[in-house]
Amino acid sequence: MASPALASLFDARTIAGRWAADYCAQAPAGDVLCDSAGRAAWLAALEELAAAAGDSLGHARERAQRQADDIGLGHRMPGESEERRWPLSPVPLLIDSTEWQAIAAGIAERAELVEAVTADLYGPGRLVSDGAIPAALVTGSPLFLRPMVGVTPPGGHHLHFFAADLCRDADGRWRVLADHLRAPVGAGYALENRLAIARTLGGLQGRLNVRRHAPFFAAMRDGLAATCRRSEPRIGLLTPGRLNPSYAEQAHLARYLGFLLVEGADLAVRDDRLYVRTIAGLKRIDALCRRVDPRLLDPLAFDASSTIGVPGLIDAMAAGNVVVANAPGAGMLEAPAFSAFLPALAQRLNGAPLQLPNIATWWCGQPAERAHVLANLDQMVVAPAFGAVPLGLPGGGPVLGADLDADARQLLAEDMARRPQDYVGQEAVCLSTMPFAEGERLAPRPFTLRVFAARDADGRWAVLPGGFARLGGEPDTRATVMGEGSWSADVCVHGADPVPPVSLLPVAGAVELRRNPGTLPSRVADNLFWLGRYLERGEALLGATRVLLGHSISADTGAALADETVARLVALIADAGAAPAPAGRRRRELVEFARVAIDGAEGQWHNVRQINRLAAGIGAISRDRLSADMMRLLDAPHPSRGGLLDRAGSLQRRYAALAGLSAEHMARTDAWRFHDLGRRLERALAITRALRTFAGCEATSDDLSTLLDLADSQISYRQRYLTSFGRLPVLDLVALDPGNPRAIAFQVGAIAEHLARLPVLSDSGLAEPQQAVAAAVQAMVATATAASLDPATIGALEAKLMQLSDAIAARYFLQGAEPLRGSGLTLA
Amino acid sequence: MMRYAIRHVTRFEYADAAGFARCNLRLKPILWSGQTLDDYHLSVEPGGEIAPARAQAGLANVMRLVVEKPERELTIESRARMTVDRPLPMPAADDPTLAEIAAWARDSRDVGPASPASYLFPSPHIPLDRNIGAWCAEELDPDRGALEAAIALAQRIQREFAFDTTATLVDTPPHVAFAQRGGVCQDFAQIMISGLRAAGLPAAYASGYLRTLPPPGAPRLVGADATHAWVLLWCGDRLGWIGVDPTNGIWMANDHVIVAVGRDYPEIAPIDGVVLGSGAQTMSVSVDVAPIED
Repeated sequence: MASPALASLFDARTIAGRWAADYCAQAPAGDVLCDSAGRAAWLAALEELAAAAGDSLGHARERAQRQADDIGLGHRMPGESEERRWPLSPVPLLIDSTEWQAIAAGIAERAELVEAVTADLYGPGRLVSDGAIPAALVTGSPLFLRPMVGVTPPGGHHLHFFAADLCRDADGRWRVLADHLRAPVGAGYALENRLAIARTLGGLQGRLNVRRHAPFFAAMRDGLAATCRRSEPRIGLLTPGRLNPSYAEQAHLARYLGFLLVEGADLAVRDDRLYVRTIAGLKRIDALCRRVDPRLLDPLAFDASSTIGVPGLIDAMAAGNVVVANAPGAGMLEAPAFSAFLPALAQRLNGAPLQLPNIATWWCGQPAERAHVLANLDQMVVAPAFGAVPLGLPGGGPVLGADLDADARQLLAEDMARRPQDYVGQEAVCLSTMPFAEGERLAPRPFTLRVFAARDADGRWAVLPGGFARLGGEPDTRATVMGEGSWSADVCVHGADPVPPVSLLPVAGAVELRRNPGTLPSRVADNLFWLGRYLERGEALLGATRVLLGHSISADTGAALADETVARLVALIADAGAAPAPAGRRRRELVEFARVAIDGAEGQWHNVRQINRLAAGIGAISRDRLSADMMRLLDAPHPSRGGLLDRAGSLQRRYAALAGLSAEHMARTDAWRFHDLGRRLERALAITRALRTFAGCEATSDDLSTLLDLADSQISYRQRYLTSFGRLPVLDLVALDPGNPRAIAFQVGAIAEHLARLPVLSDSGLAEPQQAVAAAVQAMVATATAASLDPATIGALEAKLMQLSDAIAARYFLQGAEPLRGSGLTLA
Repeated sequence: MMRYAIRHVTRFEYADAAGFARCNLRLKPILWSGQTLDDYHLSVEPGGEIAPARAQAGLANVMRLVVEKPERELTIESRARMTVDRPLPMPAADDPTLAEIAAWARDSRDVGPASPASYLFPSPHIPLDRNIGAWCAEELDPDRGALEAAIALAQRIQREFAFDTTATLVDTPPHVAFAQRGGVCQDFAQIMISGLRAAGLPAAYASGYLRTLPPPGAPRLVGADATHAWVLLWCGDRLGWIGVDPTNGIWMANDHVIVAVGRDYPEIAPIDGVVLGSGAQTMSVSVDVAPIED
C-alpha cells in the first residue's frame, strides 16, 4: 500500500507533467523550459509547486504573493505615496550551474572593463586623447560629472557594485541589454524574492542544489568594509527617503547587511570627514553605499538646489576620508552610446572580445555608423544615446524602426541630420520566454534577467548566483525596476553538486560579541519618539470617545453621566482638535461628534484616523527598526465594518496589540527607550489634561468616575477604596501613586530612568538640560500631595512636561537645519 | 583697448541668524583671450574663511566660503582691475560653415571645460526645445558661415523679443521666455544657446559684466547695472570661441568682461551654496564697471 506521502508525490509529478506539456504546446521557440536541456530540473520545480499548492496555480501564485507581503516587500510607482504589492511569480527561473558559470565570468569581466574605462576617463584620459572614445560620448552622458575628474576614489575603485540586465535570445545566447553602475538597484528584491520562494517551495533548495545568496551579500559587506581605513568601520546606506520607488528594498538591504539607513539630513561633513548625527553626538562614517542620484549628492559640488544631499561630501571623498560606493560619476557608462564602443575597448584593454557581449549597438555620432542605422532602419531599434530625450523621438523611449510611420521617420531623419550624436541604433532582440502562472495555467512570458556583482574583500568581483527576473508584456527593457503590468521571479542557479549550508554567520572568533546594536541616528530616535507619542495620543483620544459613547449615550446601560460631566468630556475631545464641538448635547449630536473624533474624513481633524495615519507614516520610514508584526498593525486600514462601538473596539485592540509588541518584543535598546519616552510623556500629558478637566474642587462623583475611566484605573480604585468616589483618593491614585502604571508619577519615574540611561554628550558628570527638567518634574510630583494638586499646580506640571519634550528634542533630534538657497544673481 | 575698475557687492540679510554657511563664489574673472586681470580683491564681512574649492564644473574661479558663526548679515565684495582688448569679429567668406563646426565638435578629442565637446548637449537648465530649435533654425542653415549666422541670430532675438525685467525669474525655463517673447539677458542667452545646440552647435553660457556708462555719444547698453549673460559659439580651432550678446544684438567686444563660462547658469552662478537657518533671506546686488582713464 502506498503511503500518503508517496501518493501526493505521484500526484504532484502527474500534475507537473501535465502543466509542462500544456505549456510547451503553446510556448514559442527558444523557451527556457521547452527547449532546455535542463527540462528535468524544471519538472522538479513544477512538482514542488504542485506539492505545495495542489492542482491550483492560482493558489500557488497567491501563496507566493502572501509570502512576499509578509516579508514586507513593496514598491512605489513614481508619484504615488502608497506602496503597492510586490508582484512575485511563484515559478522561478532555473539556470544550470554550467551555463551560469559562463554568465558570471562574463559579468565579472565586464565589470572590470567598465572600471578600467571609467578610471581612465576620470583620470589620465588616454582613451579620449587617443581617439578610442570620442569626447562627445563622455560629455553627452548626463552622468559624467566633471567635478570628479582628477579625484582618485578612496579605496581605489569607482565601482563597488555592478548590475546588468541580460536577455536570452531564441538561440539561448545571453547578452547584455543595459548596465547599472550607480547602485545595485534590485539586489534587495532578489534577496526577498528568494525568501518568499523558499517559504513557498521549501523542498526546491535541497532537491535541485540551488546555490545560496548569503555568501554574495557577505562578500559585498566585507568588500566595502575592506576599503575603509578603520578596522570596524561604520557603513551607511544613503537613501533619498521614503518616497523613493525602492525605499522598502533599501530598508531591507540595510537591515540585512547591517548598514545604517541614513538620509542626507542625518549626515554632516566637518573638516573633510563625514559624520552621522546620532543621539550620542556626531559619529564617523567610513563608507557610504548610496541610493541617491549622484547629481544630488552634494549641493556644493553638483546641483546647488539639492536638499537631499550632504554639503561637502565630495570634499570628504577627495580627501580620502570616505568611500562612496559607487563613486559619483561612475554611472557615465550607463549611456547606451557606450555599448557601441565596449567591444572595441575590450579588444584594446583585454586583448580579447567580451565573453558576454552587449546587443549590437551603433552610435550615430559617427558618419559610417549613422549611415548604417539609416540604411537598416527597419531592422533596428532607435534609442536615445544618452539620458535626454532627443527631439526626433517625441515619445522619449526606444522605438522599433519598422513601427515608424512616414511623419515619424521624417522627424527622426531631420533631427538626426542636426544632432546625430543623440541617437543609437540597436539590433532588435527577440527575448526568449519562461513560464508564468496566469490564472490556472502556465503561460509563456518574455523575460530579462538582472544580475548583480560586488567586490569582495580582495577587490575581486563576486557574482550573486541568481538575481532577479522581470517578466513583462511590453518590450521596453529599459524601464525602471518594476513598472506597470510586469512581474518578478526568483532566479535559481542549480546543479548536481550539493550546496554546503552557509549563512551570514562569520567563523568563530572573527566578531566580538556586543549587546549594543550601535549607532542610533537622531532622525530615527525622533521618529520612534513621535511614534510612541502618536500611539498614546490615539489611544487616549479613543478612550475618551469610548467613555462618551459608553456612558452617556448608550440607551440600555442606564448609566448616563450628568450633563456637566458630558460637557467636560466633549470639551476635552474638542480641545484636542479631534472634532468640531457639537451644537448641543442631544444624543444624535454626540454620536456624530464621536464619529468624527474616531473616523471622520482624513486630514480635517486631528482625530483617531488622522493620528493613526501619522503613526503609519512614521512606521513606513522606520521600517529598518520595527518588526513585521508592528508594521502590519500600523499599516492596517481603518476599520470600516460594524457600528461605531465595534470600530472603536477594534481600534482599541489594535492599540493594545501595539503596546504589547513594544513592551514585550522590542529589544531594550536606545531605540526602544525613545519609543517608550514618547509613550510616557504623552500619557503623562493626557492625564494632566484629564485632571485639569475633571479634578477641580467642585468635581462631582461623575467627574471622578470619568477621570478613573480615562486613566484606566477604575479597578485599582475599587480594590483600594470601598467608599464611593472621593476627590483626594482619586487624585492620589491617578496622579501621585508610583505603583499605578497609569499615574503621572509612574510615567515621570520611567522618563527619568530613560534619560539617565541614554548617552550624554559631556563627561563632566553634570546633568544635561533634559535630565535637569526631568528631575524638576520628578520633584514636583514627589513633593505634591493630593490636597496640593490645585488647578495652578496641575497647569504648572503640564507646562513643565511640555518643556521636557522640547528639551529632549533639542538635545537628541535634528534641529531645523533647513538649507536656504544662497544662490543669487540679478540679471538684466 | 579698455581698462576697467569693477566692483561687485552682494549683501545677504537673514531674518534669524543663520547657523553656518558654505558657499561657492564664482566672482573672480577667469583668464580668457582678450582680457587680463591686473588686480583682484575678494572680501567678506563680517568674516569667514575663503579658500579655492576643489570641485569645479565649468570655467570659473571657484572659491569656497565657510562661515561658522551665526550671522544676521553677510556682505561679499569682489573688486577687479581688468584690461580688455578684443578684436571685433568680422564675418568673412572663408569662415567655417555651421555644418563644419558641428562635425568638428563631434569629433573632438578633448573633454576639458574649454572643449567644444562640452557644450554640444542640452544641460539641466537649457534643455532642447522643438519650438526654439525650429525658430532659430531659420538663421542656422548648415551651409551658412558661422560668424554671419551667429550675429544674425543674436540680432533677430534682440529685434523680436521684449526686454522686460518683470516677465521672468532666475529659474524661468527657456521655453517659457520664448513663448512670451520677452525676458532678460539670461532668457535671451538661454534661448539662443538652446537653438544653437538644437542645430548641433557647441554653445556656452558666458557670465560677466558690461561697462556701466557708455562712451560719450553712444547709447547705454542694456544690462549694465548688474551681472550680464551672453553666448559663446565655438567656431573651429582657428577662430575659437566667439561671443555674441543677444540682449543688445552685438558682438562681445571691449565693453564685455567675462567672469565665468559654463553649460548653463548653475555652473557660473556667482554665489550659491547652503546656509543653515530657518528664517527668510533677502539679497541685494550692485555692480559698477568704470573705465579707468589713463
